[in-house]
Amino acid sequence: MKTTFAPFAFLFSALLVSQAAPVSIQLPLETSVYKAAPGADLANAQCLTCHSAEYVSTQPPMPRAFWKGSVEKMIAKYGAPVPAEQIDPLTDYLAKTYGTGLTNAPIISAPAATGIPTNPTAKQLLARSGCFNCHGVEQKIIGPSFKSVAEKYRKNAEGLIKVSHQITHGGSGLWGSIPMPPFQQLTQEEVKILGSWILEQK
Amino acid sequence: MPNANTPRPSMNRRLFLRSSGLVAATLATLPAGNLFSEDKITLPFSNGDRPLVKYPQKRALIRLTSRPPQLETPFSVFNEGVVTPNDAFFVRYHLSEIPLSIDPEEFRLEIKGSVESPLTLSLTDLKTKFEPLELMAVCQCSGNGRGLSQPRVAGGQLGNGAMGNAKWKGVRLKDLLDKAGVKSSAKQVAFNGLDNPVSEKIPDYIKALDLDHARDGEVMLAYEMNGEPLPMLNGFPLRLVVPGYFATYWVKHLSEITVIDEPLANFWMNPAYRIPDNDCGFVEPGSVPGKTRPITRLNIRSFITNHLDGDTIKAEEKTSLKGIAFDAGFGIKEVLYSWNNGKNWEPAILGRDLGKYSFREWSTNPFMLRRGKHELKVRAINRVGQTQPLEPLWNPAGYMRNVVETLRVVSI
Repeated sequence: MKTTFAPFAFLFSALLVSQAAPVSIQLPLETSVYKAAPGADLANAQCLTCHSAEYVSTQPPMPRAFWKGSVEKMIAKYGAPVPAEQIDPLTDYLAKTYGTGLTNAPIISAPAATGIPTNPTAKQLLARSGCFNCHGVEQKIIGPSFKSVAEKYRKNAEGLIKVSHQITHGGSGLWGSIPMPPFQQLTQEEVKILGSWILEQK
Repeated sequence: MPNANTPRPSMNRRLFLRSSGLVAATLATLPAGNLFSEDKITLPFSNGDRPLVKYPQKRALIRLTSRPPQLETPFSVFNEGVVTPNDAFFVRYHLSEIPLSIDPEEFRLEIKGSVESPLTLSLTDLKTKFEPLELMAVCQCSGNGRGLSQPRVAGGQLGNGAMGNAKWKGVRLKDLLDKAGVKSSAKQVAFNGLDNPVSEKIPDYIKALDLDHARDGEVMLAYEMNGEPLPMLNGFPLRLVVPGYFATYWVKHLSEITVIDEPLANFWMNPAYRIPDNDCGFVEPGSVPGKTRPITRLNIRSFITNHLDGDTIKAEEKTSLKGIAFDAGFGIKEVLYSWNNGKNWEPAILGRDLGKYSFREWSTNPFMLRRGKHELKVRAINRVGQTQPLEPLWNPAGYMRNVVETLRVVSI
């Protein structure tokens, strides 16, 4: 170092640098959700992994081409794992729900992608809601593994209630710095199916 | 055209705030979280309703997004003083895995890459082994005011509150680079913080400055903001401060400085944060620019802060205007204001000069407005003759808005 200031100044300032305490904060719960409409499952499964729903809901009312561009950017630049056959149905949901509609839409939404079975199994619900984007059965991905959730709550008398609450309302601060978004589009029955399945993982 | 510096509380909130102190005293005993969850502000563009939400170490701010958090400063804050309080300073993250717990004793900054001797420094090292530097500087998001773009563009739909002016204290980047010994092959210096992407496919947020810029003696690493440690959401315990440059370079939770031999070519340098490669950085509204270059310096801006759009002013009583102006560091030379939609311009009185990178306060002599509608404007000119356009300029990312803003007021 070539600086020429007095070393005493540093000694003095060293005395003033007190032992700094760790700083921890907890973020408010995430409350935004994708509006319920055909195709919302695709947004819940594909978009919530990386960002909250306000990234979509605060955009201006724009035409379908804008939303198509956004979906394509998410795939190309941020690696969103949207399967090719879901690009148009997802775009349609966004354009209809948050944009100006389907003007110049090239195709009609594939109905299969938005069809919701009346008595879904846990596996169907897991796929539909994109649970595996953030949780592995054995492995932590973004959120905790389902096995570690089960271990924590299985023996708790209120375990199913707690896990169900976490699915419906989201949560933060329990497992790491990234909050879990709320999945309010799921019915109580569906949440119970998912919660029970999670607690069975060993 | 919607007006710019006009975020205003919704009517409900205003009425609520005007309700008696008695009510406020009663409510103070209730949990605050739910009480204020209804508070909102409407920004002056379509789909501009936003909740006001209190985050840790922050007062209630305009929430744009919750994951990652993006919070905008309510515009009324800029009328409180020329320094933006830490608890009102805007927040902008790109990546969802953000640090929420940091032990400053454990924190280390690495300086590596094309250097003779890589360094690992603690905060105490930074505070005691290097000469401290203090300067006032404006930190402004590239997309500040993006929501006002016409035609509208994709991106964070912000009013004009994604800016703030603070006194930064820290160390010169130059001193750290000199200590590490930059090799002659070096071209740029890259900066990475403790925030991370949630997936390997998402590019980590890393930004770079050219070596000469990094060594200019003003680019600094700040461990204090307005005399306090930085709030966590503003980059605790250390952030890069690049005076006169847009906030995209002010990397938060800065933990890794890498001297590199080739210009950084990641997503965040290209194609993100680019402007049209011409003199002004703007193109014909709605068009696609050909060549682009990285966004760099702030352009000149000014705001009236003591009135909001739609305010009522008493007619035929003395009134005055006050506000702020800033530029990239050439220095504000003159501020002009107009009470009649730009037909006449009068010079404002400049306030104290707190440094060339700071907000500069200005005010007007008292004047009277006739009964009726008035359009108030303010326009700044800097020492190299740059000024603000009277009509808004446009680029596809909604960067660098600096039009002369208009406030519509009524005198009754």
